[in-house]
Amino acid sequence: MNRDTFSTVLRVENRLDELTRVASFLNDLGVEWTLNERLVNSLNLVLEEALSNIIMYGYKDELRHIIEIYFKNLGDEIFISIVDDGMAYNPTLRPDPDISLGIEDRPVGGLGVFLIKKLMDSVEYLSEGNKNILNLKKNMK
Amino acid sequence: MNVKLETSEEYALVSLEGRVDTTNANEFENAMLKVISDGHTKIILDCSGLDYISSSGLRVFLIVQKKLTAAKGQFRLFGLQPGIVEIFDISGFTSIFSIFPNKEAATKP
Repeated sequence: MNRDTFSTVLRVENRLDELTRVASFLNDLGVEWTLNERLVNSLNLVLEEALSNIIMYGYKDELRHIIEIYFKNLGDEIFISIVDDGMAYNPTLRPDPDISLGIEDRPVGGLGVFLIKKLMDSVEYLSEGNKNILNLKKNMK
Repeated sequence: MNVKLETSEEYALVSLEGRVDTTNANEFENAMLKVISDGHTKIILDCSGLDYISSSGLRVFLIVQKKLTAAKGQFRLFGLQPGIVEIFDISGFTSIFSIFPNKEAATKP
């Protein structure tokens, strides 16, 4: 991996099996940046949710696409930016699931984006040209 | 991910180890559905080895809980690690699942 001390980028293809590589990358990053295991797991979860949605729903074609994930360690904050060229889609507009529903009424899906919003301290979507950009920030305790 | 099954007359004890994520949630789902289709309506899930779960995995927990509730069975969890408890809390799962502190409490009739 080529990186300077405080920032790095991971490029993945639009295939779900790439999620294993993301998990592994984050483990290494956790060691490099001395991040605690809880934080690494949170970042892994957030990335998995965001990337799964892009990979499964973001493309109308059967082609290979690259998703770029930028990481910056700002000392008191981790900044992650996910950039894809899939169909324009703002995940922050998804309504939150009703987590007060009892077992019979709880729908089975819909938690992914909600978990991102809850685990990150800030979630921002931008559209630039043909790119979707999801910017995430996590304060480090 | 590893799923181990121990059955007794009273319940099926399933031990879940490792990660449940988008890449293997189907495997976990199939394993649990098989336990149910084998006729077990009281399932105790040892989560002490569960290190990581994403929404794909949470979905399986929900499916199992729904099936066992509909069958008037029981689904009990124990040994949840703090990181998993956090995800369960955020998702509102803590109030819809029967969560026990340890195996002894979970296996009491």
